[in-house]
Amino acid sequence: MATIKTEFEKLRSTDVWRTIFRSGSGSSNLHRSQAVQQNIFLHLFSVKIRSRALEFSATWYLGALTLSTFFVLIATGILLMFYYHPSVPQAYADMKDLQFVVASGVFLRNLHRWSAHAMVFLVFAHMFKVFYRGAYRPPRQFNWVIGVFLLLLTLLLSYTGYLLPWDQLSFWAVTVGSNIAKAVPLMGKQIRFLMLGGNEVNANALLRFYVLHCVILPLTAILLVGVHFWRIRKDGGLHVPEKKTP
Amino acid sequence: MDDNNKPGPLRSRPTMRELVYFCVISLVLLVSLAIAPAKNYFSEWRHYQKSYLAIAGQRQSGTLVRSFQGGLHQTWIAKLGVVDRCESCHVNLSGALVGASEQPFRKHPPMPHKLDEFGCVICHRGQGPATSVKEAHYTTEAWEQPLLPARFLESGCGQCHLGPLQGAPRLNEGRSLLSSMGCVHCHTVAQPDGNVLKPDDNPPPLTHIAEKTSREWIYAWIKNPQLYAGSATMPNFQLNDQDAADISAFLIAQSSASPASGTETKTVATAAPSANASIEAATLYGASFCSSCHAIQNEAGNLVGGNLGPELTRVGSKVNPDWLRRWLDNPSSYHPGTRMPHYRMDQKQVALLSGFLLAKKDNDYLANVHLAPASADSIARGKKLVAETGCAACHQINGVNPPQNFAPDLTLVGSRALAQVVFAPGMKHNLPDYIAAKIHDPRSFGPGLKMPKFALGDSQVDELTTALLAQTDRAAGFPKELIISGGRTTNYHPGGKAGRLMEDLRCLSCHAINGNGGDMAPDLTWEGSAVQHTWLEDFLKNPNTLRPALIRRMPKFNLTPDEIKTVTDYITSAYQSPALDLQPLDPHVLNADAAGRGKQLFYSKYGCQSCHIADYKNDKGYVGPALTSVGNRLTPEWTYNWLKEPNAFRPATLMPNFSLKDDEARDLTAFLMTLKAKQGGGK
Repeated sequence: MATIKTEFEKLRSTDVWRTIFRSGSGSSNLHRSQAVQQNIFLHLFSVKIRSRALEFSATWYLGALTLSTFFVLIATGILLMFYYHPSVPQAYADMKDLQFVVASGVFLRNLHRWSAHAMVFLVFAHMFKVFYRGAYRPPRQFNWVIGVFLLLLTLLLSYTGYLLPWDQLSFWAVTVGSNIAKAVPLMGKQIRFLMLGGNEVNANALLRFYVLHCVILPLTAILLVGVHFWRIRKDGGLHVPEKKTP
Repeated sequence: MDDNNKPGPLRSRPTMRELVYFCVISLVLLVSLAIAPAKNYFSEWRHYQKSYLAIAGQRQSGTLVRSFQGGLHQTWIAKLGVVDRCESCHVNLSGALVGASEQPFRKHPPMPHKLDEFGCVICHRGQGPATSVKEAHYTTEAWEQPLLPARFLESGCGQCHLGPLQGAPRLNEGRSLLSSMGCVHCHTVAQPDGNVLKPDDNPPPLTHIAEKTSREWIYAWIKNPQLYAGSATMPNFQLNDQDAADISAFLIAQSSASPASGTETKTVATAAPSANASIEAATLYGASFCSSCHAIQNEAGNLVGGNLGPELTRVGSKVNPDWLRRWLDNPSSYHPGTRMPHYRMDQKQVALLSGFLLAKKDNDYLANVHLAPASADSIARGKKLVAETGCAACHQINGVNPPQNFAPDLTLVGSRALAQVVFAPGMKHNLPDYIAAKIHDPRSFGPGLKMPKFALGDSQVDELTTALLAQTDRAAGFPKELIISGGRTTNYHPGGKAGRLMEDLRCLSCHAINGNGGDMAPDLTWEGSAVQHTWLEDFLKNPNTLRPALIRRMPKFNLTPDEIKTVTDYITSAYQSPALDLQPLDPHVLNADAAGRGKQLFYSKYGCQSCHIADYKNDKGYVGPALTSVGNRLTPEWTYNWLKEPNAFRPATLMPNFSLKDDEARDLTAFLMTLKAKQGGGK
């Protein structure tokens, strides 16, 4: 063990390491906090947190699990995009290709699909947990609102992804969904037209949903997730209720 | 250590228990990740390819094993929308591995098309992109077009081949049934080239029905047409007694007087039904070749005769004697659209023949029909029923307009989505069975349905189903150059004085001219080029058959010499083929030398005597027309051009194209022109 530790210390003192992790070697609190602050990915997080917040019972890790499914979805989604044309009727033929000839294509699709279902479930679970622990209360009220927007984005991602296989199920689901949008008073028809790029579910709608599903909604979600994590730090870390004294 | 770093509750080492959890979860993850590639590796098509190689290895076919390319095999044809991966499992379609009798390694029977030009699913249906047996062959949740049963396979041909196609008898028969059973009176069936199938059953108008028959007969007939004549095409509407009585009342009530009703016919010979007369009448029935079109049931219960006109087994129970005499005298005055020729019989012949027909009677047929007199209510109700039942879709009826779009359009029925189909309880959920059941017994889908029950055998149902399954939306999207239109029927009719005469004789009921007419007798489109004027005159005077194996011949129409001249002049001048090459035939090349060489060619090189008879003593060819007097019949120019390329003039002819050289054709023509009838002899 000792040799591993010294080897690691050696690695940390090389020039290459120092150009990437600029906080320098050493394990003082200053070094540790600098290591977090000077890294673009880590600086969103608190430098220090309560050890209580890391326990399972504090959060049930629901937020982290949600983030993991989101990463799985991005990874499998990008792979799926290699096999998919958002055009009629090729979209459905691409599903068949994934099913029949792409190596592990069914696995890829199922992974994307089940992760999507899991993400919707986890987002809700996360919200309930936050709600019942009272973590939405000031000073965290702003982050709660961002979370609500993230919920909406998750549902929209789920809905837009549903059309892409271009089978009967997706066609009618989107037909029904867009007709619900049409029921909005005064400007329902315009909303539906905007949604579908026309008056019925056809190639335009498929393209619109594809762009929303693969570009606009994920980018917005990534942005809001960034804000969401940053707000955790700004609001004083994860909400950890006081331990009741026995 | 500074005091910020005092030991907290964080543990730096996992406990044993956590390590076990971690290991188990990692293992589960690893296994589940391994399942996907394993499924791929153990897929069905790999299994079949391995067993193919195993069989080939057992048979010591080293070259087959070495040349075999593993992996997914697919036929991709973008313009037809074909992605077929059937060959991934069916690796032996070409039959390279001889004697593999088990599927999926069976050899494909001879194919009219190349596999890489059309793929598999265009003919067989099924899901081409699929690579598992279940998905490719059968109906699944996401696929409604399973493999077609073999008996409907010809429907695949019918998607592009819109006309009659050799080698597809079921399809051809099905298409002709759509016309001859009158399906297309109510249903629209349009083909991808825009051709709309037309009915070919010539239903009689009912506008003067009261002159022809009685209300009782109408009642019995519409209740069950097949009870009167087993071969009747009219379907059974399964009417109840009241409805049938009301409809018959209305049909009699709407009947008006026909133009022929004024002419009185004398009943000269009917008074003397001697044995002699009955033999004479039967002879007249035979000599007029009534049986070419009409059938009569003989004692053994078999139908004898054609099906162009109605069956006459019980005609005496049906028709009014006066009407029958007027009809035999001139059918078109009652039914202007009839296919029956105007025979020009004299009064005696009409009397003989009508007597013969009226004796074809079944006294029991109407014995139990007793109808209450027609009331105004009953007539009004009958009219309503006639409109609802759609009688006017086929028959002309006074006061009832033919209904428009009376029945569903069947243009794309072959690819109807099963989601739109309402199945009867207990039915198999697939399209061929649905269509067949619908044709076989339409009312089994519900008592309120309008489609009547047609008298069709099982094979006819399958043939109709085959023809309907050819009506796919896939075909509608094919490139136009793939679509092979059938011979369109034109509305050609000969013109002028001769034209009126030929109309009167209904030449087009049996002969086709310029794409219009029947197929019972030879096509006359180029008859003027083919035959000699004097032969045609003789033939019309006294028609005889040209084919030794055929008893049926053209009826004798009792034409006057003037009429014969008119028709002959018209045919020989109007029906000339522009394709005829008249140049190479100088009369003096058809000399005796040439004829000698031609005889050699006829008997030795080409063996023409196997189908034709040039000399009654020696030749036994019964397939083609007898040629014993062909020198009187055909023109030398026609003979020469015909020999060179028979199917240029008649595409469906059985005569082979021997690709004769010019001089061979000339010599053969010279020989044939020497075959003349002996002076004074008819043949």
